[in-house]
Amino acid sequence: MTNVEAVQSREAAVVRAEMSEFIKENFLYMRPDHVLADDDDLMGLALLDSLGFVELVDEVQNRYGILIQDVDITEEHFGSVNAIAAFVSSRRLS
Amino acid sequence: MLGTLDGDLRASAAARPEHAAVVVRSERLTYRELDERVEELARRLRALGVTRGDRVAVVMRSSGEAAVAIYAILRAGAAFVPLNPTAKEAKLRHLLAHCGAAAVICDADVAERVRSVGADIDALGHVLVSGAEPWTVGAGADPGAPFGDVLDVDMASIIYTSGSTGMPKGAVFLHRNMHFVSGSIIRYLGLHGDDRILCVLPLSHTYGLYQLIMSVRVGATLVLENGMTFPGQIVNALEQEQITVLPGVPTVWHVLVSLQGLAERELPHLRLLTNAGAALSAARVADVRRTFPHADLLSMYGQTECKRVCYLPADQIEARPDSVGFPIPGTEAWIEDESGEVAGTGETGELVIRGDHVMQGYWRDAEGTAAKLKPGRFPGDRVLRSGDLFRRDEDGYLYFVSRTDDIITSRGEKIAPGEVERVLYAIEGVREAAVVGAPDDRLGEAVIAHVSLAAGVTLDEKVLRSRCAAALEDFMVPTRIVIHSELPKTDNGKLDRLTLMQVREQDAQARVLR
Repeated sequence: MTNVEAVQSREAAVVRAEMSEFIKENFLYMRPDHVLADDDDLMGLALLDSLGFVELVDEVQNRYGILIQDVDITEEHFGSVNAIAAFVSSRRLS
Repeated sequence: MLGTLDGDLRASAAARPEHAAVVVRSERLTYRELDERVEELARRLRALGVTRGDRVAVVMRSSGEAAVAIYAILRAGAAFVPLNPTAKEAKLRHLLAHCGAAAVICDADVAERVRSVGADIDALGHVLVSGAEPWTVGAGADPGAPFGDVLDVDMASIIYTSGSTGMPKGAVFLHRNMHFVSGSIIRYLGLHGDDRILCVLPLSHTYGLYQLIMSVRVGATLVLENGMTFPGQIVNALEQEQITVLPGVPTVWHVLVSLQGLAERELPHLRLLTNAGAALSAARVADVRRTFPHADLLSMYGQTECKRVCYLPADQIEARPDSVGFPIPGTEAWIEDESGEVAGTGETGELVIRGDHVMQGYWRDAEGTAAKLKPGRFPGDRVLRSGDLFRRDEDGYLYFVSRTDDIITSRGEKIAPGEVERVLYAIEGVREAAVVGAPDDRLGEAVIAHVSLAAGVTLDEKVLRSRCAAALEDFMVPTRIVIHSELPKTDNGKLDRLTLMQVREQDAQARVLR
């Protein structure tokens, strides 16, 4: 692993932890027994609804300072904690 | 087959067999394919003994299979009963037993829930699972008892609505009723065979369901998306499928107008937006028009018992943003004061509705039917009491004033406060509970619960909400739960809902939880 890659992988771990915490805090208190995994399907498991995703997108935008366009809000980019971390790191690089 | 919903499908399949009927992501069903699959499943249902007058429940998310299921039930001569696939067990059990479903067609992921509640229901003979097995009967199989054509006076559907007491009521519609109202709406929307309608609303809901019925009737293309969760997919569908018509409820518009970049897209094909479910504020109307400057916006009002009551033509939305217009083509509606006289201009009274869109009555509920439908001007004539207060301006435009019952409309869904209160009262330690609606731009109305607790009990909002979430469909879970030491009462000791609604308004600063 190069230095750059090591930094990126540490950053991705931070994003995963932060997003996981945000989702637990804001959306999962109604399901205290659900243990959120990084690859949990946020929509499929009905952990978030459409209004929840609007809040999540706002949070990603504000916390990481990236502009999120309408067509960015897809399952590929926001479907799981892992997907969000990958999306954030791809936007930071570009 | 004249004037039946299945007749519409047969006609469109004959007229334009290779035209796309239903599109779900990469799956495209042409009218010929839709018709063939409907025929297969209808034969399967007939072979299982399903026949005229039977009820068959559909517990499915929006999909091509759900469209096949609905039309196959109709072709078999039975009535379909659309049920929300997110309904919890107790509600599913109640509704399946109440309508006496002979069979259920469901998605694979709800099959277990349906089978477990179905085991308690005698009438329920068959659970068919979408995708689990081919829906064909195979060559030479018994197609069931001889059966004539489906008639326009056959029962087409029972659609459950939230009764104000909290027990859902099943509105019964004949093919004739549904055919009439779809024709009326098609006329004022100007729908035609080259339209491409994007439906993000569930087919288990009349607003979504009628997109399918109307699209099939005019031979148009219906593009299905399951909700608004990933709006990027909605935006892609708008562009790639060259959508011409987009129906929505306030929550849909809330999500769309919040998106970066959508207002800059051209969307040259999108000609028509319709809003129903709950009214849009004038400010939100302006947001929607800014986001979709080239599309007309129609504001509509309806209720399950007659599907649609009135609509405001697009050219009036700026002059009268808070009006819901006038009755849909082929129907009439008027306002009655408390003595039953027709109210004058500007006077508030109950809206009364007359036309072939009105339901036949509530399933197995003579008392509820008698309260809602009253005799009209001549034998056999009946009119629908809307239960909603309206006024009319000097040009004849109608304005919704308020409901006479307590029903809350949130995310386009109707919620009976009693149903939520029952769950709150069942929580140990809850002494009093009252649920009211409060205006909310995102939801239409937010569901606000006010509770007081028994002495010595400590329960917080999060615990109460998680208990509600375990027993109620998501849209019914209170947006906010306010804990009081005691709830306000009227002079005669009843819970004072009016005061509670005002409590909420003064409290507008507080962050409303999702």
